[in-house]
Amino acid sequence: MILESSIQIPFSYAAGDVGSRYLIALRDDMQLLASRCAACERVACPPRSFCTACAEKTSELVGVGPEGRLISWTDRPGRGLFGLIILDGATTAMLHRLDIPAEMLGVDLRVRARFAEERSASPGDLEGFELV
Amino acid sequence: MDKVISESTTERISVSVPMNQSWKYASGTPMERFCAGLKEKRIEALQCEQCERRYLPPRPFCGNCHKKLKKWIDVKDEGTIEAWTVLNLPMLDGRTGKPRATPYGMALIKLDGADTTLNHYLGESDPKKLKIGSRVKAVWRDELIGAMSDISYFEVLP
Amino acid sequence: MRHAAIIGTGQTNHTRRRDDVTQPELIREAAERALADAELKPSDIDAVIISNMEMFEGRAMPELWAAEGAFAAGKPCMKVATGGTSGTSGCIAGFHQISSGLFDVVLVIGFEKHSEGHTQTGMALVDPFWDRSVASGALGNFALSVSQYMAERGVTEEHAARVAVKARRNAANNPHAHLKMPDVTVADVMASPVLAHPIRKLDMCPQSDGAAAIVVASEDKAKKLSPRPAWVNAAITRHEQPYIGDIERRLATMRTLKDASRVVYKQLGITNPLEQFDVAEIYEPVTYAELAWYEILGFCEPGEAGRLIEEGVTAMDGTLPVNPSGGVLCANPVGATGVIRVAEAALQIHGRGEARQVDGAKTALVTGYGVYAWADVIALGAEPGGN
Repeated sequence: MILESSIQIPFSYAAGDVGSRYLIALRDDMQLLASRCAACERVACPPRSFCTACAEKTSELVGVGPEGRLISWTDRPGRGLFGLIILDGATTAMLHRLDIPAEMLGVDLRVRARFAEERSASPGDLEGFELV
Repeated sequence: MDKVISESTTERISVSVPMNQSWKYASGTPMERFCAGLKEKRIEALQCEQCERRYLPPRPFCGNCHKKLKKWIDVKDEGTIEAWTVLNLPMLDGRTGKPRATPYGMALIKLDGADTTLNHYLGESDPKKLKIGSRVKAVWRDELIGAMSDISYFEVLP
Repeated sequence: MRHAAIIGTGQTNHTRRRDDVTQPELIREAAERALADAELKPSDIDAVIISNMEMFEGRAMPELWAAEGAFAAGKPCMKVATGGTSGTSGCIAGFHQISSGLFDVVLVIGFEKHSEGHTQTGMALVDPFWDRSVASGALGNFALSVSQYMAERGVTEEHAARVAVKARRNAANNPHAHLKMPDVTVADVMASPVLAHPIRKLDMCPQSDGAAAIVVASEDKAKKLSPRPAWVNAAITRHEQPYIGDIERRLATMRTLKDASRVVYKQLGITNPLEQFDVAEIYEPVTYAELAWYEILGFCEPGEAGRLIEEGVTAMDGTLPVNPSGGVLCANPVGATGVIRVAEAALQIHGRGEARQVDGAKTALVTGYGVYAWADVIALGAEPGGN
């Protein structure tokens, strides 16, 4: 016998100071922000509170993008195209959706962020990336 | 591009992520037989042949003796309250995302024929009317699907 | 096996809602404080253990998002998720990692952000066949057992209220406590609303956002780095059967807590825990549980718990102060709560409990509790290896 059981719970997560600033910049300015580590100069987008490499706190945010370089991609049947993009000015890659014809895909392709028309300081304010 | 923003924000953002997922679970043989019995308003426990404990819910192994359980025992849909409470604080039901209406009574019920107690709802929610030792009987739903929810609640017998 | 000791602790100020920080940022606060307390750098940590429950905040693998906040990226790291015992079991895992010789310095961090989820709901999502349709959450589960315990052992609502008063007044001495009520009275507790009969609001623990961390070190490192290490002299854990109905007279009999404590007592030659421990930090999600634990831990005979609280035996100036920190009743970020018990007991041995210090405390008893009847029992001391 197989039982199908569902879970429906409304979770809600604090974005924190750095996370809030990132989302507010998306909503208000259609601007992508990254965190810059003063110790090792890594620039991470999306920004986070601690450097990925040296665990130092990172509260300094710099503007990056809206264009960038596609370094890798995959096609998930039924779910669409996803890619790793290094935004201009950043040193780490961001995983996001791609809205690009399959035949155009290639390493080092130039892509640009597309923002939602209606934005609410939530992750969906950045819809994905398309061809420059 | 070189825009540095260094002030903290006073606007605190929270990101809403409602979980809405379902999973499919295999019941295993003991629970399958138990659930089939519920469709006929029949409750069965499994008894450990070593320690003689009669387990509800039925399960594959006795936790204490580590023996496989094979002996099925009939259990009545009637029993005794061993512990009770009335809940006033609403709690979301994780299967629906909605709260259960309060107040509602709950009890640990020793059904006649089982050695473990069953945690279930009571039809009574007045604490003055509830006591340990009261007899209760299952109130079954009209439509039985072979799940624990086939018993809607237990009514306190006079 | 070599000795292990706690050489540093750190906690956040536990509160209802930390909407100013993400989970990794919350963890980082406690982890940093523990490292500072131990006078160590992140690179001094050999391994990290994280305690947290997936379903409470609804995200898979908490140790993934937490990794940077926990200084764990690139290091050995594992998560312990055992309900309320997550924190104490996480500490025990750390103790084993040190005692076995595997590592010399381990950081254990527990955390929870209840404000981000629905904990009572999440914890009810157990066996989908049996439990989910009749789950009553932690509050309901306790309330059920309390009615049975009261009938059998004669404790009253007033006895429970005295436990609440002790806890909430003690918490006023604890800068990290979520709920501090220095002037609360028995009348206040008994006038608070009934949440689930007979448990009143002031009988019950809060749901807190918070994190707590300890640094555990090997014998050599502890002796070099700490003026007064809190030595881990015993650590025992017990699991249980899957359903609340499997456990007869749960609060009166809890075999897991009883077994675990008796093993600890035997290891240390304890015959009278009330006299032979100087302080206890026990895991009491509700006032009635503390009374039950007095009996199960052997502080008194069955039926005597009410007398113990009436006579002030477990008050700050009593024979065995229980929960100088205010206990779980005053702060409960579940994944952290067990770590808080260990950290608070360690502070007592370190002699740095400040306003909540029990003078001259040299031996501490710590318990963890989870789900229906999981139990951890730990003994800390000023001397390695025994009392």
